[in-house]
Amino acid sequence: MSSERRQFKSVKEIPPEDYYTSGRRTCAGCGPALAYRLVLKAAGVNTVVLGPTGCMYVANAHQFLTSPYAVPWFHTQLGGGGAAGAGTAAAFRALMKKGKRRLEDVNVVVFGGDGGFADIGFAGLSMGMSYDYPRLLYVLYDNESYANTGIQASSTTPWGATTTFTPSGKVRRIGNERMKKNVALIMATHPGVRYVATATLWPPLDLMNKVDKALGSGGPSFIHVLVPCPKGWFTPPDLTVELSRLAVETGLWVLWEYENGRFRLTYKPSPRKHVKNYMQLQGRFAHLSASEIDMIEEVTGREWEIWAEMDRTGKLIVPWVPPLKSVEG
Amino acid sequence: MKALTRTDLEAVQIPRRRPITGARAIAEAVKIADVDVIAAYPIRPYTGVMNALAEMIANGEFTAEIIVADSEHSQFEIVKHASAAGARTFVGSSGVGLIYAAEAIVVTAMDQLPVVAIAGCRALDDPGNFGMEWNDTLFFRDSGWLISWAKDPQEALDMTLVAYRVAEDRRVMLPHFIAVDGATITHIAAPVDTPSKKDVAEFLPPYRPHYTLDPAQGPVTKAQHIAPSLIGPEQRKHVDVAMKRSREVIAEAWRDYANYVGRTYDPFIETFRMDDAEIALVTMGAYTINALHAVNEVRRDGIKAGVVRLRYFRPLPAWDLKKVLSGVEGIGVLDFSYSFGSPDSAGVLFNEVRAATYDDPKPALDFLFLGGREPKPADFVKALKILHDYVRTGDTPGGKRVFWLTLRGEDI
Ligand SMILES: Cc1ncc(C[n+]2csc(CCOP(=O)(O)OP(=O)(O)O)c2C)c(N)n1
Ligand code: SF4
Repeated sequence: MSSERRQFKSVKEIPPEDYYTSGRRTCAGCGPALAYRLVLKAAGVNTVVLGPTGCMYVANAHQFLTSPYAVPWFHTQLGGGGAAGAGTAAAFRALMKKGKRRLEDVNVVVFGGDGGFADIGFAGLSMGMSYDYPRLLYVLYDNESYANTGIQASSTTPWGATTTFTPSGKVRRIGNERMKKNVALIMATHPGVRYVATATLWPPLDLMNKVDKALGSGGPSFIHVLVPCPKGWFTPPDLTVELSRLAVETGLWVLWEYENGRFRLTYKPSPRKHVKNYMQLQGRFAHLSASEIDMIEEVTGREWEIWAEMDRTGKLIVPWVPPLKSVEG
Repeated sequence: MKALTRTDLEAVQIPRRRPITGARAIAEAVKIADVDVIAAYPIRPYTGVMNALAEMIANGEFTAEIIVADSEHSQFEIVKHASAAGARTFVGSSGVGLIYAAEAIVVTAMDQLPVVAIAGCRALDDPGNFGMEWNDTLFFRDSGWLISWAKDPQEALDMTLVAYRVAEDRRVMLPHFIAVDGATITHIAAPVDTPSKKDVAEFLPPYRPHYTLDPAQGPVTKAQHIAPSLIGPEQRKHVDVAMKRSREVIAEAWRDYANYVGRTYDPFIETFRMDDAEIALVTMGAYTINALHAVNEVRRDGIKAGVVRLRYFRPLPAWDLKKVLSGVEGIGVLDFSYSFGSPDSAGVLFNEVRAATYDDPKPALDFLFLGGREPKPADFVKALKILHDYVRTGDTPGGKRVFWLTLRGEDI
């Protein structure tokens, strides 16, 4: 079977076809919805999409019996993303091997939220990444919260964000005091892994080309996509893509790929903007003091030394970051 | 070469019944059914089924994708999705493993995917207990799965083949558990006649689902979020109709199976010495054999006893059960299940039997075998005697209706 690569060189090459279309009720400016659209444009028509429970389930293939999906789509349980992908890919392989289905490349793309992939379905995701199913892509669409249940903290919620489970209060002022788990790095440490990357909605070609590479990599792959969520981030809907861009330009969201054992930054912000450019636009960080934001800026700078080192050597390094603390009282 | 004598020829014609364990017998059925995707995760006593399958696949006896999962939750999700993509699938578990997979198990039925699974019955924790109990499987009583209960390795093999046929029937499309009393069936070898793939080819054609999650079939959105106000109850009704239709499909499948394989079973209920029985023991599973021996024993003392065994728990053959019990004066349920705080503080099977015979109630006692402790033949005889006295005198020791038979201490 061929693994055709097409790599989009300019926005003009973005296919006009949409496989994530109308008939949905996501919020205006929903980042995950945009990610769905771009990822499916890159994956193309020969794709099965699976979705663990979350906003992208409840707000899409939703209760008024409409569906925005122009490719096969099936729900899986919140913790079932990894297994669903592996099971579907296993079915295709078995049926093709046994001559029960015609031989061709079929993409299996699982879209899991951060709740679904960083928390409850973490073990299953790891299992899926340990097999050798080609054209199996796990996309973690990371809105840094359990958006569907009303914005609770997940293990990828950034330090300091206020959520309904980690509200900024009179005594506990910081909000979420855990630091963001780097799921992509963990996935990259799986033996034999072919392709792992991070992405966001900006630049869109970066995301789409990573999807293309992932699906053509010959093994299971993982892309961690940061997706702003106007409802959970307390941001206006028209800022979604801008926030993606600022996340990258402030260096808070690092764009990289790990392909066949080699690490590479795919975007180097230069000069890197201060993180406040990104954070000050978001209501979820409004309670943080200027010095706390400066502390995040400082830690981000230190981490960037490690990212740069990884880029130079092509090797994975697991950055150690000191635990963040509230600066005042 | 010496010419074959008549006796030699007869010897050749005797079906080859190899002594194999129940676990192996089930694996043979999965091989004959040419299953495409298998998901495994260990927990005794069912594990041997997967060991056997893994070995067969490793030795090239048949082709299937076998995924070694990270947990039962993943295990059941894997086969659910493989089934949706058009594969014939096999999975299984025991005890707490099944419970861990509960979420995936429940949605498989609601998605009407014909997954076939082994439930290797085992007591639930805490404390950890390797003994046999039915509560793990009966946890899924209300889940929309078909549930059959095998009596021995041969029947476990036959039930597995028939399960695929019933589950995949367009009139049904429901997942199917084959419950096997842990260890008693999985680990004990008995002579088993293994049909060939050729024998069952027509009986069990390849799985051909209507709509698969496959781009070749065009866009299908499956299991979308629903509005209770639009199709909430209707969706449940679909599953209900499928479950009701399964009755005729099950009867048909076993009739057909007998034609192809030559082994005949009454589809839903097996009876033993019930023609003139005044009292009956109702049960399921492997210990039926012990009950039969107990009946033979008390019959020597003039007690007219019989045994009724349910082969299916879902759908529960209430119609047959009522019929076979219509003539008896008392029922004793041999129960490896329990429902804490239930009416009569009794077993799950007992409550089901009582409900099934509600229109024609019979005096009934529940004999409990709980906590995985192995019952002895004497326990079954004791049950029959208590039941017999109850029917004759209207009384039982201590006036009880429920007996914890293998309990060592005081029954408070
Ligand atoms: C086992 C289980 N626990 C809890 C829930 C409730 N639940 C539904 S959607 C959801 C949020 C999922 O969050 P995430 O994966 O981050 O996706 P998002 O909603 O942000 O798109 C939760 C917790 C569930 N459906 N299943
Ligand atoms: S809550 Fe967030 S993720 Fe959910 S639909 Fe709205 S914007 Fe999208």
